[in-house]
This record gives sequence, structure tokens and C-alpha cells, in this order.
Amino acid sequence: MAGVQVHGVSKTFGLHRALDEVSVDFADGGFYALLGPSGSGKTTLLRMIAGFDFPDAGRIVIGDEGVERVPVERRRIGMVFQNYALFPNMSVADNVAFGLSVRGEAKTDIAREVKQALDLVQLEELGQRRPHQLSGGQRQRVALARAIVTRPRVLLLDEPLSALDKALRVDMQIELKRIQREVGITTIFVTHDQEEALTMSDRIGILRDGRLVQEGPPEEIYNSPASEFAATFLGDANILRGKASEEGIELGDGTVIRCCNAGHNPAANSSCAVRPERIRIEAAESPEASSGENRLKARVTKRIFAGNSTTYFLDRDGQTLKVLVQNSGGESVADGADVMLYWPAESSVLVA
Amino acid sequence: MMGTTRLLELLGRAFVGLMLAFLYLPIFIMALMSFNASPFYQLPMDWTTSWYEALARNSGLIDATWNSLRIAVLTTVIATILGTAASLALRRYVFPGKRLLRALLFPPIAIPWLITGTAMLIFFFGVGIGRGLHAIVLGHVALALPYVIVVVSARLETFAPEYEEAARSLGATQWQVTTRVTLPWIAPGVVAGALFAFAVSFDQFVVSYFLSTPGEATLPVEIYAAIRKGFTPEINAVSTIIMTVSMGSMLLAARFFRFGGEK
Amino acid sequence: MPQTDVSQRASTGPRSQWRPALPLLLPAYLWLTVAIFLPLSAMAFFSFMTELPLSGKPWAFTLANYAAFFEKSFYAVLLRDSLRLALEVTLWCALLGFPCAYVLAKILKGRSREAIFLLVILPFWSNGLVRVFSWAIALRGNGLLDRTLNAILPFQVNVDLMFSYPAIVIGLVHSYLPYMVLTCYLTLQAIDDSLIEAARSLGASRFTVLRRLIIPLSLPGLVAGSVLIFVPVVGSFMEPRILGGRAGTFYGTVIEDQFVAVFNWPLGAALSFILLAVVLIILGAASPILKRAA
Repeated sequence: MAGVQVHGVSKTFGLHRALDEVSVDFADGGFYALLGPSGSGKTTLLRMIAGFDFPDAGRIVIGDEGVERVPVERRRIGMVFQNYALFPNMSVADNVAFGLSVRGEAKTDIAREVKQALDLVQLEELGQRRPHQLSGGQRQRVALARAIVTRPRVLLLDEPLSALDKALRVDMQIELKRIQREVGITTIFVTHDQEEALTMSDRIGILRDGRLVQEGPPEEIYNSPASEFAATFLGDANILRGKASEEGIELGDGTVIRCCNAGHNPAANSSCAVRPERIRIEAAESPEASSGENRLKARVTKRIFAGNSTTYFLDRDGQTLKVLVQNSGGESVADGADVMLYWPAESSVLVA
Repeated sequence: MMGTTRLLELLGRAFVGLMLAFLYLPIFIMALMSFNASPFYQLPMDWTTSWYEALARNSGLIDATWNSLRIAVLTTVIATILGTAASLALRRYVFPGKRLLRALLFPPIAIPWLITGTAMLIFFFGVGIGRGLHAIVLGHVALALPYVIVVVSARLETFAPEYEEAARSLGATQWQVTTRVTLPWIAPGVVAGALFAFAVSFDQFVVSYFLSTPGEATLPVEIYAAIRKGFTPEINAVSTIIMTVSMGSMLLAARFFRFGGEK
Repeated sequence: MPQTDVSQRASTGPRSQWRPALPLLLPAYLWLTVAIFLPLSAMAFFSFMTELPLSGKPWAFTLANYAAFFEKSFYAVLLRDSLRLALEVTLWCALLGFPCAYVLAKILKGRSREAIFLLVILPFWSNGLVRVFSWAIALRGNGLLDRTLNAILPFQVNVDLMFSYPAIVIGLVHSYLPYMVLTCYLTLQAIDDSLIEAARSLGASRFTVLRRLIIPLSLPGLVAGSVLIFVPVVGSFMEPRILGGRAGTFYGTVIEDQFVAVFNWPLGAALSFILLAVVLIILGAASPILKRAA
């Protein structure tokens, strides 16, 4: 086991800047998600840590060894591919044994370790099957067993769950997390699925256009996004734009929105992000509202009922806002109604 | 309605039957006549195996047969190794000029052998390579290479690059990746390519004809020379043997690889 | 989305990987250069010479070899004959091969299809020269074919076709038919049966389905087969020699003579190059249809 440090790594393909001075510290034993839209550089970064691509500049350190010039086969990493890449001409057991056998380990040791690995992923019965005889979830487990049986220093996962259907994906998220804890291996996980990143990882790094835009634990990024992009890519957010003021921002009509991190961003034009579930809808001016709360007038344009919650779409000065209300048995607000929106200052965050 | 369809289908089957007759009738007649004692193919049949006995004593034809086999085996080995290596490079690496290299495989297949054969004759003669069995091997490998590359490449298309990447991520060296993952997967393609190479060489007449010398000829060249001198029933016998062996081996091969048929 | 990541990796970077590729590519392409590309270039060069430089005789550059083709109608007439022969053989192959491929692809099923497909393709894997030779025996007057046919048929036929133009056509059709069956079979098999059923349900007759649907869709196969047949037949010399006798003088046999009998290599090279030009024109004309298929 070992941590991974990426220092100022850049990579250009032709005219395309795939990675631009990216630095991340992947802690030993942590579960780290690299999140970003396609083309953001997350896969390039993963392939660079794996050793399939080499950086134009910067350093990559695994454990305490600088590996940026070391080819993949000597990096002692484990990787799970998007399509699993199970060797079709080998049985499940031979697939798992491959990494040990190219190292020249003794047959008896290999057999024992393969059995252990298949036990770990709960496929002890299927060793003699061929990959094409397995279900998607089973292939996933074999790929995982094959990657960790060699006791790599770091486990790299390239969108490993994207080929599975929704229900199976949730099961596999739990399973993957269990196995990772059991083995205690540093894991770097590439995904474009924000929910996956939130539920599974200890830390998330958000990439956009080859740059790392924010990095931190899931709660921190969700609660204090640093940018509009981070706010909207990880979870849902209402973005309000205006002029920076003492307390937060001042909207076009003079309304002041207080933000928790006011004063840190003295830019002339600023935005503030508010999560839909943090906003309260009241039919009219509420006596309960404390004086410190933000308030906005808006009109309901559409409601989507989803059982345990209702999403309201509201119009405020031509901007559509979204509010998520938990279904607690209260009265709902009708379409077309004029309402007041309230939320505490600590729920709105100034973003770049 | 139904009646017309069945009638048409029946006609179709009959047509295919007639075509098979057209394809096999002359071969059958030739085989039959190789057992006819009359050198002028007089009927009725006078059964004999004397032409086969004469063939066994015909050292010219026997030498030519050995030449053909040796050349075909050598061509197969060289063309399969070089062709498989080139296919791997064309699949594995990204480099400029790849499209041109693929396009260059086309002329040896498309240009009539008469043209390539005479061009080889002129060039080999001009640069001192000369004619003979070595020149024939040189030519045959060049004719077989594009077939091997095309067949092996087709198989490699079904091989995702992730397999090689996965093997390397597990610590396999380039050599281990090639021998333990890539080659086992493309083996059927390599065997098919080798069969192609053997067939191209063993059946090759035109190029061998221009590159052979009187002492150093392949079987088809000897047969052509004998036919032009006048028919001899021994040619009949040797042709029958070639036909039986090549068709028989293809039938065997077809049991292992399913050509055509249901996908 | 993950797919685009992969394709971007491949397309955005002309990261040249020549160095590892070179040792794998070099042997094959060096071989092709020495045995195919240099000879073709050398032949182009020699076709402009009066004598072979190696023969020891004095030599000079000349256009006489090409002039010979255009001055004497002899060569042009032979080329025309060869083109006509190739056209006839191709047409016969299409007429026989297409229906056969259709029956294989659309009527026969399962094991019988596999077996008959194999039988049609099998001769293709056997020696071409020997197959031509077998016709030389079958087509002899008073031969087995002659007698059998006359015994069965109520009227007298004369199958003493040996050393005649029809014999050459028969031998060539026999040699090249499998190409046409194979290429047509591959395109016909790719036509979804539901297309044909859809057309029938719209009220199209069998003939209309054939004309408007099946033939257009299988055109790439027909063209590919035709090119594969036409090109080598234009340059054929062994088949006309064996089956044609005196009737068997064609463009290919004249080129053969220049190299093995007359020893006028520069003229032979020029004639070969004119043939190559014809071949390239045919390939060029057919390539749009073939590209559409690929």
C-alpha cells in the first residue's frame, strides 16, 4: 500500500491540452473519486498514474518512488477497465492468476491466492467459467479480483460501474466499498456519475478542461462549492448573480442575498449558489422567518411529484429556480401561486 | 402463392446442383482417365494403375513436387511470421503513414500475376538475384504477405487494446503480453493466414513460371511444360493426386474453421 | 461519454509510435519493396529502353516499345480480344454465380448451406492449372463427356470443343466462378430477410423485389466479384494456351512470348505496363462502388 502524489502534471495531445498542471495528493488507504464531464482529463490522469501515458511535465510519486518514467508493467498497480478487459481465451481462475503467473510465482501459491481473491469477491464457485458465461456484475468482480490479487500499491478504477444497470450498480457500489475497506488499498476511481462519487469516496477531485477545479471530502464540496461549475456538476444548485456586497450579493432589483462566506470574494460581479433542498416555500410572508434569513418572491410554474418529495420550478424575474420539498404531509402549493422563498444565510455560498 | 415459392426454390436447388456438376465434372473425368490404360483416353475404360507406377519412376515430376512442397512450407513460415508481426504493429501503434502502409498491400493482390511475374523476372535478373528456387521463394512470400496481413488484421480487429493494457497493468512485459494474451487470441487468424500462404504458394503457377529455370521448377511449371509438349497420362495421375490432397486438406481444415455458413 | 474519452486518446494525439512499430513492420515491407515495388519500378524503367542494359549490347532510351503498340494494330487488336474475353467470362460468372449465391444465402439453411458453400469454394483452393488441364481432357472429341451426352440426349451434339474459343471461356469461367459466388454470397447474406418481406407486404412482385432491392443492395458484391475476375482474365495466358491452341493467342500470351520465347524484354515490359494501365483504370472505375460497400 502506498499513497500517490501527482505534482504539476501536464499533458498535451496535439493541440489539445488534456491536463494542465494538475496536483493531487491521494492519501494512503483512501478512496478517491476523480469526477468530471467527458473530455475533462480524468481518464488521462488515471492512465498517467497507471503508466499508459507519460506526462509532458510534472511528477508522479507512488509510495516514495517517482514513477513518471516507469512503464506500466513495473509500477505495481492494479487496474479495472471500463469494459473489464477479461481475457476471453482464459477461464476466470486463469484471468485472476495472470498477474501472479507472469511474475513467475509457484503454482501452489498462485492457486491459493487466486482462491482467496475469488472468495473475497464471492465468486469461489465460478473459477472454471469463461468470461462470456458471466453476468455483468460477475465480470466486474472477476476484474476486481484480478486487479487486487497481485497486491498492488494502488487500485485504479476506470468508470468500472458504467456498464451495469442501475440496480446492480448500487449493489456493486456497496460491494466495491466493502472490498476496498477489507483490503485497505489506496483507490482512485474515475467517474462521471456524481452520485457514485458522493456515496463511495472519502475525497473527490473535480476536473474540468484538464484542470483540477476543486478537491476535498464530499460534504465539503457539496456544502461549499468553490465555483458555479462545482456547484452544478456535483448536485443541483440555484445560481443567483449580482454585485458583490458586504453581506453577500446584491441582485439587480436591490435585494441583498446574504452568504456564509461573504467578504472573501470582493469581485464586482459575483454568483451565489443555493441547494434546492435548503429553500423553504411559504404561501405568504411568514411570521416565523427570522430576520437573518434570505427571502425572495417567486411564482410556481411547475411541480413534479416524486413520492417522497416534490420539486417545484419557480419563476423569479425570468430566472427559473428549483426547490425540493420533502413530503412531510403538509399542504402543497398550487401552480401559478405567488410564494415567498426563505433560506438561512449559511445555505448560500458565494462561488466563482 | 405457396406453390410458386416452392417451385422457385426447387428450381434454385436444381440450378445449384447443375453448377456443382459443372465444377466437379471435369475433375471427376480427369481422375477417371488417370486409371485408363489408353493414353488417348479411348473408351470403354481399360482399368489400370500403370500411370501411377510410371509417375513413381518419373524423377522430374517427383523432384518438382518436392520443390513445390519445400517452397510452399518456407513461404508459409516466412510470410506468416513477417505478416503477423506487421499486423501487430499496424494494430498496436499510432503513427503517421499507416493508411499508406495498408494501401500498399493492395497492389500485390490486385495486379495480375503476369505483370508482377514479368516485373520480378526483369528486376531479379537485373540486380543479380537471378532465377531459381530462391527467386521463387522471394516472389511467393511477397504474394502471400498481403493475404496473411489482411487475414490476421481482421482477427486482430476483434481484439480490444484494453486486453493488452490489462495484461501490462498486471505486470506482464511486452513479450509476455504478446505471447500469453495477444497470440493465443489471434491464433485462429494466424492459422488461417498460414493456410492462405500455403495455398497461394503451392498453387502459384504464373510467378513460378517466369522465375524458374529448367532444372529448378515447381510442379505446376513442370505440368505446364509437359502439357505443352503433348498430353501424357502421368500428368493426369499427378494432377489427380494434387487435387485429392489439396481438396482433402481443405475439407479437414474446414472442420476446424467454419468458413461461411451460419454466423 | 467514456467512449469519447477513448477515441480522443486515439485521435487527438499524433503521438508517433514509429520507434516500437518499425522493427515489426520493416521485414514485411522491405520484402514487399524488394519483390514487388522495385520490380514494378524497374519494369517501368526498362520499358523505355532499346535493349536490356545487362545484355552487354549498347542501349538507349526510346519510346519505340510503346510506339510499337500504337503503330501496329496487331497488339491493340489482341488487347481488344482480351478485354472481350474478360467481359464474356465475367458476364457468364455473374449469370451463373449470382443465382447460386442467392440460393445459398436465402434458400438453403443450416448444414446443407454450409456443406454446399464449402463444395462451391473448394475448387478455389486447388491448383488452377490442374483444373484447366482437367477441361482439356473433358472437352476432347469422342471423350467421356461427348459420349455420355450423346447417349443421354435424343439429338447429336458435338462437344469437340478442344482448341476453340468456347473452350477457353468454359475453362476461365470454371476457374473464376467461385470468386463471384463468394462475393455475392457475402453481400446477399447481409441483406436482412425482413427487408424482402417488407417489400412483399407493400405489394412488390418477386421480380420488383429482385430489381429494386436485392440487386442494388448486392451490387458491391457483384462489382467486387467482377473486378476480381475481369482483372486477371485480361492478363491470362496459361488458360488460352492449354485450351485454345491456335485459337488461343491473346494479349497475355504475347507478353509471355516476349519473355520466354522472343526475349524482347523491353517490349514485353511496355506491353505489361499498358496492361497495368488498363487494370488501374478498371480498378479506379470500380472503386466508388466498392468504397460504398466498405
